[in-house]
Amino acid sequence: MAAVLDATADTAPNRGTTEMRRFLMTAVPLAIALYGVIPLVVGGQPYWLNVLTNACLLSFGSLGVWLTFSIGRVNIAQGAFALIGGYTTGVLTTMLGLSFWIALPLSGIVAATIGILIGWPLLRLRGIYFAMVTLSLTEAARLAFVNAGSVGHGVLNIPNPPGINSPLAFYLFAATMLLAGFVAIWRLNVSRIGWVFRSMRQNEELASSIGIDIARFRVLAFAICCFMGGIAGGCFASLQQNIYPQTYTVADSINFMLYCFLGGLEFVLGPIVGTFALVIAFELLRSIQEYQALVYGILMIVVMLFLPNGLLSLRGLISRRAGGAK
Amino acid sequence: MIQVSRRTMLMSTGALVLAAVMAGPSGALAADKVLKIGQLGVMSGPEASWGLVNKFSALATAEMWNEKGGIEIGGDKYKIEIVSVDDRNDPKLTVSGAERLTGEGIKYIIGPNMDTTATSVRPIAEKNKALYFPYAFARSLYTAPAENAVLGMVASYQVAPVMYKILKEERGVKKIAFIARNDSDGLLQREEGVKVAEALGLEIVSKDDTYESSITDFFPVVGNVVAKNPDLIVMSSVAPAHAPQIMRAAREMGYTGLFGAESAQDMKIINEVAGEMGSGLISIGGASTPEIRSPYMEEFIDRYTKIAGEWNDEAGTKAYALEMILGTLQKAGPAAIDDIEVFKAAIPEFEMKNPFLKEDAVVKYVGTADFGQKRQIGVPMVITETKDGELTTLSIGSVE
Amino acid sequence: MTQILVNGMLLSANYALIALGITLIFSIMNVLNFAHGQMFMIGGFVVYYAVVVWGLPFPLGLLGAAVIVGVIGMVVESVFFRRVMKNSSREENTMLLAVGTALLLENVALSLFGEKQRGIPPIISGVYRLGDAFLPANRLLVLGISLALIAAVLLFVNYSRTGRAMRALAQDRTATLLMGVDVPRISTLGFGLGAALAGIAGALLISISGVNAGIGTAISTKAFIMIMIGGAGVMSGALLGAVTLGFAEALGYAFFPGSVTYLIIFIGLILFLLFRPQGIMGKPWG
Repeated sequence: MAAVLDATADTAPNRGTTEMRRFLMTAVPLAIALYGVIPLVVGGQPYWLNVLTNACLLSFGSLGVWLTFSIGRVNIAQGAFALIGGYTTGVLTTMLGLSFWIALPLSGIVAATIGILIGWPLLRLRGIYFAMVTLSLTEAARLAFVNAGSVGHGVLNIPNPPGINSPLAFYLFAATMLLAGFVAIWRLNVSRIGWVFRSMRQNEELASSIGIDIARFRVLAFAICCFMGGIAGGCFASLQQNIYPQTYTVADSINFMLYCFLGGLEFVLGPIVGTFALVIAFELLRSIQEYQALVYGILMIVVMLFLPNGLLSLRGLISRRAGGAK
Repeated sequence: MIQVSRRTMLMSTGALVLAAVMAGPSGALAADKVLKIGQLGVMSGPEASWGLVNKFSALATAEMWNEKGGIEIGGDKYKIEIVSVDDRNDPKLTVSGAERLTGEGIKYIIGPNMDTTATSVRPIAEKNKALYFPYAFARSLYTAPAENAVLGMVASYQVAPVMYKILKEERGVKKIAFIARNDSDGLLQREEGVKVAEALGLEIVSKDDTYESSITDFFPVVGNVVAKNPDLIVMSSVAPAHAPQIMRAAREMGYTGLFGAESAQDMKIINEVAGEMGSGLISIGGASTPEIRSPYMEEFIDRYTKIAGEWNDEAGTKAYALEMILGTLQKAGPAAIDDIEVFKAAIPEFEMKNPFLKEDAVVKYVGTADFGQKRQIGVPMVITETKDGELTTLSIGSVE
Repeated sequence: MTQILVNGMLLSANYALIALGITLIFSIMNVLNFAHGQMFMIGGFVVYYAVVVWGLPFPLGLLGAAVIVGVIGMVVESVFFRRVMKNSSREENTMLLAVGTALLLENVALSLFGEKQRGIPPIISGVYRLGDAFLPANRLLVLGISLALIAAVLLFVNYSRTGRAMRALAQDRTATLLMGVDVPRISTLGFGLGAALAGIAGALLISISGVNAGIGTAISTKAFIMIMIGGAGVMSGALLGAVTLGFAEALGYAFFPGSVTYLIIFIGLILFLLFRPQGIMGKPWG
């Protein structure tokens, strides 16, 4: 509540520069890591470039889920919107011959539109009810596509993005999308809208009682989330060059949610750190192929038990241990 | 304080990557020459058996050869090393898995197992000039302009015409019903089966019944089918886990006809789940019926059982992939190890004695009839019937 | 038509055990047990090993499943959940932990039990007729055991001391604590009981449809559908949800082409939730 009043009343110039500094402190190292460190280290290894491309695009989708977390909803439907986005890109590029650069934003818009239609009524639900409904949405989307006539058998021969056809190029494309998404969500988070979201998470009734149109803001958050899911799905469809109804399962939706959680829900960087950590950890475990899945599951539980607020909460723990005043 | 920690976090991600790269798979510097063959498939989750059977079959064959000193290609002996990658049935992981394998210089990959994952591998295989041997039936993988895939087994739509014809002519089947898994593989196979049935003049009493792959109780679905009184119930794209359940449910409802499955099934599971109700299933097998096995097949079964813990009849069809690869490499010469074009050139003329059948038969590359080019391993089409807990051979044929 | 009704009844009884278990856990702990499906699966495997591998009689296997899965539930609660509920700053963290537990149990099961589908022969063979409907004796037995267990659970929760403590905990945690009830012990017991119910459901169902290490998520999804329909945290809601889903499946498969049956169930569910988001018996959220 106080947060909302702050947002509307506070215009102190100091706040602006601190915000900018905090932003650059996160964005610049991220950009260096994405554009500098990674290409330098694995530029010549298509395998790792591919893994990191996946990580970038999955992070993009997870950023969307993070946004719904910020209004206090657990969203386990991102897989459905990735599927919708992927199918849109697939159908537009193969059947209508549109360019990828047109199909991709359209995928996001189609996903967002469906998100608005479904979300408007469903966002009234909260807590586990909303979580369970979104879980059902993922399955429902798969079934809908299975019954959707010829595309139910899958869309094949989706072309790569024009001009992008090497692992390094895919990676740079994905990294750019990720950075753009990160910047957008960060800006949203520190804007007035972001404060409104946070106040809604803390207490929806209270926010509503001071005149915030909670229905509209809820749908806004959800729509942006679905938009990002659709875009991620469209990119994957173009990189893999195919899409099927079972390309995104409940497991994928759960993964999007898990990546956010494990990174840390308090930070915009959270979903990115979570995704990269889990995706890379899974690949690194390949050498113990027999027990790969088992160790992966154990690692996840260990992180949850000892860092229930996410990997990035490590910073807080370290500073407390080091005697910092917090 | 803030910026140091965050930067540290990001830098440590980079360091992790660096460490992985350095600790990554190093080239084999053994004294013997090593032939690395890749295996890419689903090895965890509900469909884990599909990929694991590929892996264990390849390992069994590799072990058998390595014990004899390895495989001789062009005068040199090579130890066979199988590099396995689990794609969890996720196309994203299939793509990175394929990049990883080809990045190690591997040109021949067994798998993947499903349409979704196999079609995702195609661009990578074509880009990195590798040959893959999927167990997915999508025609687009094997028809020109695609030419980097070789189907590792008999496709369901190749089995159907032979199977239905035999049942119509020898067992008097007139009415046929279909029950399919509700995903693209299942529905596609059902449509193909329906076409075959129509061409043969069989009466299709039911073709809309499907079940979710997550189903727990087949009673409602099977009830529908049984009520329409078919002579043959075809289970399209049925998993070995579900076939005996469908059979049991149908028999419990008084069904006395036959069952058909166009994919390999597992006798042990059928016995465990369906017991005495497991008879009357017509399906496709490899060379695992006792009466047609060769001693080499017996040895393979032994070896497989040691590696995997128990035998799986699915391996009867999946045993061929590695043997064919090795045989073709021998014929094509050592240049083919790194150049698939040499391998491909050897495909049309290649044939070798079928190591798994008792009788004298050759196995070669087939597929001209369905794909217009030879992009399929000519695994013999062994149609089996379950009778009193055992698999018996109904017919042995081949694909063209 | 009789067959459809019979099918509906059989499915409902099977599902009811699953729904009761997850509802019990939710009502006491306010935690949605994502791992419920995996516990179901472990119950089935225990019976498989008991009956097929070691040749023990089925009732012993059933008991073993209940005990082993119940213990797993209690361990999960006391080691994992209690710790996280103390340290976390958001309530969603427990849900995350539940998801992690589910993944862990599934991967452990895959490593321990292998990936193959397992089944057991019918406990008793034979088929009865009810009009023109078929009723296999085995299913009738499972129906009977399920109904007996449901009655037992309801009696326990309503009339026994521990059961009443659990209900008190579900109503108001603080008040129960103030009344001198050993809340941690009751929580652990409650979770264990809920888990045991899942394990028993799996043990019973393996004789009907078999089990494999990967069915966990599908079972959990069905459990969620049931409590969405019936209302979370309320026993009667669980039963209503089970009956609704059971008959919806039976009717759906009979009258619609199979590929759309579940799509219709989902669409129906979403529409229903728009009008009554808390389910039939649930308390309004908030």
